[in-house]
Amino acid sequence: MDNHSPVPMIELRHVEKYYGDLHVLQDINLSVRKGEVVVIIGPSGSGKSTLCRSINRLETIDSGEILLEGAPIPREGKKLAELRAQIGMVFQSFNLFAHMSVLDNITLAPVDVLKKGRKEAREEALQLLERVGVRDQADKVPAQLSGGQQQRAAIARSLAMHPKVMLFDEPTSALDPEMIQEVLNVIAELAKEGMTMLIVTHEMNFARRVADRVIFMDGGQIVEENTPDRFFSDPESQRARDFLHSLHAE
Amino acid sequence: MKTGNIRDYLYESPGPRTRKRIRIITGIALLGLLVLLGLIVLQFSVTGQFDAKYWSFFTKWTTWRFLGQGLLTTLEAALTGSAISFTLGFLLMRGKFQGKLIRGISTFLIEFTRGVPTLLFIYFFFLVVPKTGWKPSAFWKITLPCAISACGVVAEALRSGVNAVPGGQREAALSLGLSERRTFYRIVFPQAFRFVIPSLIAELVIVLKDTTFAYVVSCADLMQNAKVLISNYDAMLSIYLVVAVIYILINYLLNTLSERIAGSQRRGIQTIPGTNKGVAAHG
Amino acid sequence: MGFTDLLSKYGEQYFQALLTTWRLTAISFAGAFIIGILITVARVSPIRPLRIFGDIYVQIFRNIPGAALLILLVYALPYLQIVFSYDLCVTAATILIPSAFCSEHLMSGMNTISPGQIEAARSLGLTFLQMIRRIIIPQALRSSVLPLTNLLVATMLTTSLASQVPMRPRDLTGIVSYINTHDTGGVMAFVISAILYCLTAFVIGKAGSLVDRKVRILR
Repeated sequence: MDNHSPVPMIELRHVEKYYGDLHVLQDINLSVRKGEVVVIIGPSGSGKSTLCRSINRLETIDSGEILLEGAPIPREGKKLAELRAQIGMVFQSFNLFAHMSVLDNITLAPVDVLKKGRKEAREEALQLLERVGVRDQADKVPAQLSGGQQQRAAIARSLAMHPKVMLFDEPTSALDPEMIQEVLNVIAELAKEGMTMLIVTHEMNFARRVADRVIFMDGGQIVEENTPDRFFSDPESQRARDFLHSLHAE
Repeated sequence: MKTGNIRDYLYESPGPRTRKRIRIITGIALLGLLVLLGLIVLQFSVTGQFDAKYWSFFTKWTTWRFLGQGLLTTLEAALTGSAISFTLGFLLMRGKFQGKLIRGISTFLIEFTRGVPTLLFIYFFFLVVPKTGWKPSAFWKITLPCAISACGVVAEALRSGVNAVPGGQREAALSLGLSERRTFYRIVFPQAFRFVIPSLIAELVIVLKDTTFAYVVSCADLMQNAKVLISNYDAMLSIYLVVAVIYILINYLLNTLSERIAGSQRRGIQTIPGTNKGVAAHG
Repeated sequence: MGFTDLLSKYGEQYFQALLTTWRLTAISFAGAFIIGILITVARVSPIRPLRIFGDIYVQIFRNIPGAALLILLVYALPYLQIVFSYDLCVTAATILIPSAFCSEHLMSGMNTISPGQIEAARSLGLTFLQMIRRIIIPQALRSSVLPLTNLLVATMLTTSLASQVPMRPRDLTGIVSYINTHDTGGVMAFVISAILYCLTAFVIGKAGSLVDRKVRILR
């Protein structure tokens, strides 16, 4: 596994974004290497979700550059769609397509976008479902699955596109507590297999477990960046210290 | 039923090329619509419909007062009809919660009134009822059939309102010792009624639209008065247009009111997750 | 007049009237559906003038009374030198009014789609058209089955407007007015028409429920 490829997988340079008067992203500079797992944590409103979503242009930025493998993200049209196919995204509210079976959810994009054969897509989808542990739910519709099962199916849906990088926007925040672990385990497995990942989460133990790097955001800025061990045991900035303290106080 | 949500999130922030394309098509569309408008205006002027003789009487107060009298009758008929249809609908709704026979009759009557056009009921009151010896006035000959035609829909709306009240409400009342009857009238129905107000207003609009058939029974509503004006001034197009606009405006306002009430209700009532209990949220 | 007397004298005409009502209902609903789709496309498009046009269209035709529209078409339009046949006027009215409601139902159907699904479709690399075809249209249609079924029944009720103009053959409402003005039809004449209307509505309702149960989206 080449951890030191010259071109970073994802790069954000001097990214700025305003939401009216709110400066939601302030001079964001970030670089994610291939195979690296970067976890972003921070209080609500810190801009971490916005950062994550701007990488595949679900959110637009006002200035700065976002690059995937050195190439800037297109702003519109077919090129943008093609690029998005290479970035996998897992949402807080799963967002499975309500009118299709779980299996069809997974084969839709490979068939329509990657132009894969239907049979091939089906077989691969079943394997992916097996991998995330919801193979037996393949023919059910999303409404019949629990939250944890839906999220795992959503992860399989993204994996079916063989993305170069996966983005996770608070993947377990909408789950009942007993289902969080099953989803985190799947994500941890992916990390172990070498997928490049950017994860926004509140799960600190999980961050400590899988992250290669932890980024702390607050008020639209990247306040601190460090390895998980160093960050969690001895944060450098006062804001990070306050944040971690407020979590432990629960 | 103006729900504009998907329009807000169907499109993402357009890039420069897309923005240009949208601007061009917007220009073309605007042009097309203006041309359409222009053609209509042209046709009006070519046929002389903009002549003062077709419009000048609208500046007279007496014209509007006359129309206003007709409108008053229309509103009277609509409101009376709605009130009657509410009463009938309520009875039918209650009937559906009773024993098998009454439930069957109620269901039949509901389906009957929903499946038959109002005009047929109007003809019934116009052509058949007088022959039985009961000779209602023209007002009732239009109000009653409109009421009957609407009561089935009202019954179903009330029933869905009752079903929407969380079951816990009834259970709580019963366990406090209230009788079924009291539970219904003091606890369940008042809440159901609030849910149902938007549909009732929508039904008022339908009844109002049905009352425009008052000319069939020679009742002096807005349409009838318009006819009189027309024979006075020989201005069919302008008068009927104005009357149509009046109807559209009134119904539009009523529908908007109904939607607004429905919207504020949606925001105000939350269900505690995991139960079937409802709780009013504030703010 | 008794049931058997009525049938023997007017049975054939009742049958014709039933077919007329059915025919008018079918044509009107088809027309209303097509126009409804076009208006909905306009209302959902990113082109502001089209949206405004679509919204105004819907507000006009869902709020205008059928009688007022029919009278405008039949009596007022000729003053603009636009003269349509009675048949065309009635058909126009029975298409225009349901088309507005059709658009409302389709919009409601579309609004059942959560914004998240659209974002997910985008993230997977689907183009806008692919998204419309695979995500939006199927869900909008499948969610609109029951309202559209009710609209079909409402269209049938609206076709009773045909009784207000000298249209031949008469529809189920017109035939009753005819029988009662030229003969002593009495209550029975109404009952026959009413039953025929009701049965049609009942069958439509049941068919609609069946379709809905099959294609309904669980949420």
